[in-house]
Amino acid sequence: MTFRTVTLTAVAALSLGMAASQVQAQAQTITVPLNEPGTAAPAQTGPGTVVTRGSDGATTVDTVGGVAAGSAPAVPANDAAAPAAPAATDTSAAPETTQTPGATGGVAATGPGAAPATGSIADPNATSAEADPSAEAASPSGMTGGATVESGAGNVVSGTTDAPATDGVTSTGVPAAQPQQPAVTDAATTEKTGGDVSDNESTPRPTAEGTTPAPQSSDAEATSTARSGTAAPDGAPATPTPTQSAGEPPAAPKEGLPASATEEQVTAPVPVGTEEGEAVVEDAPAPAASDAAAPEGAADTPADGQDHAAAPEGADAHAAEGAPAAAHAAHVEDVDFSFEGPFGRFDQFQLQRGLQVYTEVCSACHGMKQVAIRSLSDEGGPGLPEDQVRAYAAQMTIMDAETGEERPRLPTDHFPTVTGLGMGPDLSLMAKARAGFHGPYGTGISQLMNGIGGPEYIHAILNGYTGEQKEEAGSVLYENTAFASGWIAMPPPLQADQVAFADGAPADVDSMSMDVTSFLMWAAEPHLMDRKQVGFISVLFLIVLTVLLYLTNKRLWWPLKHGRDRLNDGR
Amino acid sequence: MAGIPTEHYEPKSRAERWIHRRLPVVELIVDFVTLPTPKNLNWMWIWGIILTFCLVLQIVTGIVLAMHYTPHVDMAFRSVEHIMRDVNGGYMLRYLHANGASLFFFAVYMHIFRNLYYGSYKPPREITWIIGMLIYLAMMATAFMGYVLPWGQMSFWGATVITGLFGAIPGIGPSIQEWLLGGPAVDNATLNRFFSLHYLLPFVIAALVVVHFWAFHTTGNNNPTGIEVRRTSREEADRDTVPFFPYFVIKDLLALAFILIVFFAVVGYMPNYLGHPDNYVEANPLATPAHIVPEWYFLPFYAILRAFTADVWIVQIVNFLSFGIIDAKFFGVLAMFGAILVMALVPWLDTSRVRSGRFRPQFKWWFWLLAVDFVVLTWGGAQPAEGIYPYISLVGAAYWFAYFLVILPLLGLIERPAPMPTTIEQDFDEHYRPSAAHPAE
Repeated sequence: MTFRTVTLTAVAALSLGMAASQVQAQAQTITVPLNEPGTAAPAQTGPGTVVTRGSDGATTVDTVGGVAAGSAPAVPANDAAAPAAPAATDTSAAPETTQTPGATGGVAATGPGAAPATGSIADPNATSAEADPSAEAASPSGMTGGATVESGAGNVVSGTTDAPATDGVTSTGVPAAQPQQPAVTDAATTEKTGGDVSDNESTPRPTAEGTTPAPQSSDAEATSTARSGTAAPDGAPATPTPTQSAGEPPAAPKEGLPASATEEQVTAPVPVGTEEGEAVVEDAPAPAASDAAAPEGAADTPADGQDHAAAPEGADAHAAEGAPAAAHAAHVEDVDFSFEGPFGRFDQFQLQRGLQVYTEVCSACHGMKQVAIRSLSDEGGPGLPEDQVRAYAAQMTIMDAETGEERPRLPTDHFPTVTGLGMGPDLSLMAKARAGFHGPYGTGISQLMNGIGGPEYIHAILNGYTGEQKEEAGSVLYENTAFASGWIAMPPPLQADQVAFADGAPADVDSMSMDVTSFLMWAAEPHLMDRKQVGFISVLFLIVLTVLLYLTNKRLWWPLKHGRDRLNDGR
Repeated sequence: MAGIPTEHYEPKSRAERWIHRRLPVVELIVDFVTLPTPKNLNWMWIWGIILTFCLVLQIVTGIVLAMHYTPHVDMAFRSVEHIMRDVNGGYMLRYLHANGASLFFFAVYMHIFRNLYYGSYKPPREITWIIGMLIYLAMMATAFMGYVLPWGQMSFWGATVITGLFGAIPGIGPSIQEWLLGGPAVDNATLNRFFSLHYLLPFVIAALVVVHFWAFHTTGNNNPTGIEVRRTSREEADRDTVPFFPYFVIKDLLALAFILIVFFAVVGYMPNYLGHPDNYVEANPLATPAHIVPEWYFLPFYAILRAFTADVWIVQIVNFLSFGIIDAKFFGVLAMFGAILVMALVPWLDTSRVRSGRFRPQFKWWFWLLAVDFVVLTWGGAQPAEGIYPYISLVGAAYWFAYFLVILPLLGLIERPAPMPTTIEQDFDEHYRPSAAHPAE
């Protein structure tokens, strides 16, 4: 620690830029004491309350559901998703068990798991359609809850985008009582439940205990949804994260939030004691601010280097993707990510949003088996409080190696492994396993200037769909300007407003892709910031050492080079 | 130790004498670090210490990495990720080790080309040179096997391609290949033995390095003029040399610190620049990467390997003369190993009696062309084997052989060397003390 502290200090002192970014990154974590935990009562969530949120929510959910379903077999873990959909509404009753159907919770949870679900992958839409009603509402909330830590301070958010959707979510915010529960947990739980549903037996408990009571969450969602309708208006300002928001806005919307907001602590992002009692709310300091980077960056992106893979380097053509590396000039634009450059840092809130996107969208078809769920609370990462991580983990199930039974995942477990027909490659290392830049002419100069471009490649793929598609050998391929062969098997994964961010960050495709790309970079290189610090300190130290040695050497040789003969020097 | 007259260690205190009679280790150390060293050495003589540092770095980081690594096909990739994510400082250890290999090879190429330019391989230093070549071969074997250990796509397919070279040997090739792999294909047995050998070879290298030191401490260092230190008297020797410690210790440390600035910048900020993204994809025997590329330091020889395709006339002639035994693939393998062999034989191929390229006006041009050729081959090895690239590699390979087999032997006979200083001291003084240089003459 000492070393790190020193490092940070030194860095800060030496670099304004760094300092700035640091401040930004640290944002304020606010701990909001929850009301009585108990209250939250799971029950409330009225079952029926499905709030369908704007199309957005629906979309989101759907996708997930659909995808998941498709993938299905592979992952034993979560199944929930599929079933959920239908159920959605009802779930309320038994929070744990059922989960709102499709509710996002379900989605999220399931997502990763493999979705056993029904639908075939192919037609996400179809599924979605079905799921929609129920799902919609859920989706936003569920996810967020789990994922998002950031509840933008209500205030902040409000200003920004509060898509109706958000409101809905927020509003849903648990009925007054619930506020307490850390929203997050709820969501998580919910999800779990969702997962459980499918599983039924085992699932529920684990979740419930540790973190927030599962039920609630589900309830929350449900309720929220229900209320959302109502709440929406109010909530709007609050918009905060779903999770939290759920709890707070409605209940103690003003109370908690404002205060907290003001209080914002600069402390470490990692929320302090997140006990059940307390809900940790991190404010995105101005969401705008924190996010700004992302969206803006995205916008700007076009920046410099674009690279046409002159040399068919093949990085792209991956076995997994099975795309023959054609001479197609894949187009990858350089993007300014917050973690680039000597003092680059991950934007904690962006990572949290990215986690949400991954959970709600990517995880349906992509595993992340190298990443331990516990690392979500690591410093330098998304920095989720431990109870939220526990709840998040519990949304997903795993076949216990010792008992042979399916149980909810623990933070010490890893993200699910997803394999099977139609499933995509594992994303644990994707940001390092692709090159966005090549050449020119095989010299590697482009990579020297712009980096290897793994994140840029992911960003370009997510934004590279032209809308064209074709059927080939029984599978549908989508035209993508960033893919080596020009046609990729992955359907366009992101649609605008598919994900509702608690902090009100924009959810257009480019913003979401920036968020998820950053998250994947973190997943691939969780110690990136540490490494850069070590590099900086080392270089600084070595420069000083070099200067000292230079002076020593100069003085040592001076008599030989400029003085009299060595022999006559009397030495 | 060396033949250069100098002050030798004498045990002075009683304790020193007690030890010295039983084990003259202090004498060994003192004489080692006070080796009389030509005082005109330039900055190209710093690579030895960089290489020594690299060897130590690789062994130290490697031993710690081995504590956390699992040489099994099902767990190797994951254990590397475990190192990267969970082991304290593991990401630095691994990046230091991976990039340390690159620094190692960069330094060894600078070291080799320094010797080629200044004629350090010439008598009486042939054995130093040969041992150096053996070290280089061991380094390549070690690095190759180390690259297999993470069990990524490039690890697996690189191993498949390289061991396939042995399969190209007519008749016994397939048997040798299977023996190397421990089975019909790259699999767990391969990974296990590569891990074992990867751990062993660095110590073989360390032993060879000791012999390398021993050899050049016996002959003394070469220097930029290629002129030998005067050994007729202690006084003259002292005019040509300075003790290694402190003069060159400090100078070498300065160089090391400077190089490490760059090294740590790479490790800290772009640790994957020299790697291949595909190696972050777990090995999959069913999916061949579009483009299999070895690490950069193998590229020049990889280019030579691929340059000799079946449509090259010399390959066709050899194929015809050998009744088809030597096909294009085997020819490529022979060419690759031959490229290193001709380099190892350079002490006997270079007929010039002048060591340093500084005084060989024609040689200079051919040498620098060789250096450029090496860079071109490095680049060519990274290109796909299609289009114009194989031709470029072929031209590069041809020049490589021509330099060692034709140009060096002939150049020594026809070249007229430039005038040389008579002593190292004179060379040094001309650089730094023009006023003192005159009296010396």
